[in-house]
Amino acid sequence: MPLSSKEKIASCKTTLEANTRKRRASDNNHLHTKRARDDLGTGEHRQSEAKNMGEATPKRANFSALNPSNNGFNSRSSPLVNNKPGTSKKLVIKNFKVKPVLPANYQQQTWDRLKEAVQAIHKSRPIKYSLEELYQAVENMCSHKMSASLYDQLKEVCEQHVASQTGQFTSEMTDSLTYLKQLNTCWQDHCRQMIMIRSIFLFLDRTYVLQNSLVSSLWDMGLDLFRSHIISNRTVQNRTVEGLLMLIESERTGDVVDHSLLKSLLRMLSDLQIYEEAFEKRFLEATQMLYGAEGQRLVHEREVPEYLTHVDKRLEEESQRILHYLDHTTRKPLIACVEKQLLEDHIGTILQKGLDRLLEANRVDDLTLLYRLLQRTKNGLHDLCQYFSAFIKKTGTTIVIDSEKDKTMVQELLDFKEKLDNILQTCFAKNEKFSVSLKDSFENFINKRLNKPAELVAKYVDNKLRAGNKEATEEELERLLDKIMVLFRFIHGKDVFEAFYKKDLAKRLLVGKSASVDAEKSMLSKLKQECGGAFTSKLEGMFKDMELSKDIMFAFKQHMQHQCHATVMDLSVNILTMGYWPTYKPLEIHLPSEMVNLQEQFKRFYLDKHSGRKLQWQPSLGHCLVKGQFREEGSSVKELQVSLYQTLVLLLFNEGDNYSLEEIAQATNIEDSELRRTLQSLACGKARVIVKLPKGREIEDGDKFLFANEFKHKLFRIKINQVQMKETVEEQVTTQERVFQDRQYQIDAAIVRIMKMRKSLSHNLLVSELYNQLRFPVKPSDLKKRIESLIDRDYMERDKDNPNQYHYVA
Amino acid sequence: MKVKVKSWTAVATWRWIANDDNCGICRTAFDGCCPDCKMPGDDCPLVWGQCSHVFHMHCILKWLNSQQVHQLCPMCRQEWKFKE
Ligand SMILES: [Zn+2]
Ligand SMILES: [Zn+2]
Ligand SMILES: [Zn+2]
Repeated sequence: MPLSSKEKIASCKTTLEANTRKRRASDNNHLHTKRARDDLGTGEHRQSEAKNMGEATPKRANFSALNPSNNGFNSRSSPLVNNKPGTSKKLVIKNFKVKPVLPANYQQQTWDRLKEAVQAIHKSRPIKYSLEELYQAVENMCSHKMSASLYDQLKEVCEQHVASQTGQFTSEMTDSLTYLKQLNTCWQDHCRQMIMIRSIFLFLDRTYVLQNSLVSSLWDMGLDLFRSHIISNRTVQNRTVEGLLMLIESERTGDVVDHSLLKSLLRMLSDLQIYEEAFEKRFLEATQMLYGAEGQRLVHEREVPEYLTHVDKRLEEESQRILHYLDHTTRKPLIACVEKQLLEDHIGTILQKGLDRLLEANRVDDLTLLYRLLQRTKNGLHDLCQYFSAFIKKTGTTIVIDSEKDKTMVQELLDFKEKLDNILQTCFAKNEKFSVSLKDSFENFINKRLNKPAELVAKYVDNKLRAGNKEATEEELERLLDKIMVLFRFIHGKDVFEAFYKKDLAKRLLVGKSASVDAEKSMLSKLKQECGGAFTSKLEGMFKDMELSKDIMFAFKQHMQHQCHATVMDLSVNILTMGYWPTYKPLEIHLPSEMVNLQEQFKRFYLDKHSGRKLQWQPSLGHCLVKGQFREEGSSVKELQVSLYQTLVLLLFNEGDNYSLEEIAQATNIEDSELRRTLQSLACGKARVIVKLPKGREIEDGDKFLFANEFKHKLFRIKINQVQMKETVEEQVTTQERVFQDRQYQIDAAIVRIMKMRKSLSHNLLVSELYNQLRFPVKPSDLKKRIESLIDRDYMERDKDNPNQYHYVA
Repeated sequence: MKVKVKSWTAVATWRWIANDDNCGICRTAFDGCCPDCKMPGDDCPLVWGQCSHVFHMHCILKWLNSQQVHQLCPMCRQEWKFKE
């Protein structure tokens, strides 16, 4: 029962909708295997409909028109109808053997129609037939085992078309942009056409292609054709790639270029699977050349911050390039290439040229950028850390080493540390290695100058803890002490610090100069935490003495009241345990008898309570509150806060009107230089309560002194400071000497301790044990001297045969 | 009277009378403390016996506790009595 194609197609129409839907449903999986992209295809957008279609629809004859029961109408529903229960008419078909016979020219005719459609697509002309007709024709041909020839025929038509396109790209053309645009148009057309062709030949794609693993899908077949006929052509490929590289280069030099053109052509290369081989390699070479030269030139021409900003911009541009048109696989090699050419090859130059200045000028933003960029390179951070450390050591050394800058050393160190901490925190991401390096570098330079930094840190603390320091609140002071402790931690000669700290603490405690007991205690606990209880036990003892003294004075006052002594003046005594406090030279000076009496009364009282003790007065540490009556007839009374020495000088004027320097010396027995300083403070300072004749700043032999009857001052209570300067120089020397002496004792004790335990030890082992035990810096030659001295004193002896071996002498 | 002292804050240091000697029990100088203590001074006082020998209090107490029968001065072997 032959049917004309036309009739057959017409008969199909009713089933078309169902067919199309079914087809779409199975499309989904299949399409994913294609290289076709969303933006080129249209079939993919149909997905939602597919959900409605059951996949379970039984396979049926596609040539529905041949189904005899239905007037040429497809009866897809017939099997269902037949199975319906209760249907009276039973139709059973057995052994349907008669094969449908096709007209002889069926294949040719059908193909002609299809070919016509394909050619119309290629020429962008309207197609005479509906797509459904064409689709059905393909389906029919496939069902009649014509698939293979259909595929070959289709391929041939497409090949003819693609081949015909080659010519326009091999002929001479001057403008490369026009060339690229033309190629792009050709490619876009090709894709569009292949999608349309594929949708017509979908059945072929779905059956024949799928069943034959050696046959490419229609889409891939199209790509193969485009590749072999157009892009594999040497000339075409060269011109295309060169054109693309030129476009990119002109964008790199600042021009605006057509991103969509670049993107489309680069995707074309990817789709044709020649992106890497034909384009990427040359692109990376061009990139390397460009940035290699640019890096060489700019790193010398530009200042480091400008250079870094430029590199950052370049990296950003390149990653935009990847986002906008390059294949994502190019990201890694491209960025690596830019990093190498612009950064990695120049790390040394950048750091050497710019780091110090950036650090000096605290250029936080630039440093952050530097860190961020170097982080991308292999050794960048390592190198940065080394330069950072070198900078700290260099700068720190200049702060520490110059004795002219001693006055500001500690403040400068604190500022320097704070600045570096800030840089570490905000610019260097709190990098642990940098942090360690910062500490090591500080420790390194701060100990380049022995003893002095320790002394100055102690002085600095004294300055901050001393009364009258109103510049800081309690919290600020606490923070400051914490910062000081950080510096302290770096210092090796902690005993030097302790000695000076102790001397200053003694002054603060005894002269009532401490700004805050809380701050003192807090500093003490910080030191204890840092160095252990042994380090602070004596300092703690000093505080304890002060407390005990208060108790004793309370008892003494009760005792005095009990004795009904007429109190001429109020006495309080601070009793210091020797050994806790700095050592003071015992001085015998002349006190007025009433003061001597009072002193004796106290001494008796004290020794009565504490037997087995000796008491030594320390006049240089005493101070008084003195009432002075100036202008004989007026009532100008002032209260003077003065040292005991100043008091003794003033008291002389109760007995006489004027005294020579020599007379005062004899009357008080104050040591000469001390006395001169005392007189200077009373006669040459801000509040001049005695008058020096002749006038002058310095106290000379033969100078005479009068009571300043005309003394005027706006305040009632006046504090007259001792002249300090010379005193501190002397004190400093003695304090330091004491530290060194103490170190010798400690070395001796340590040697004896070790030898006593080990009995016999080589020189080297002894020295290394000593270095483990001693907490201050010491030269090997000093250790050797102490060992010699102990041998002389028979604490140990040399081995008879081996002079480098020592034995303990019990 | 031109000048009158209202109050006087004096400073004195104290040490043991026997400061330069060593404790006969622990051999440490008296300006230091006994081996059980960390701080010399009030925390580790000295005591005298009627025999006039002097020791760290902690040292002599330990010594006396270790004596089974008679409590003798470790230096002169006379009966130990604290000096009042
Ligand atoms: Zn003892
Ligand atoms: Zn003790
Ligand atoms: Zn005795």
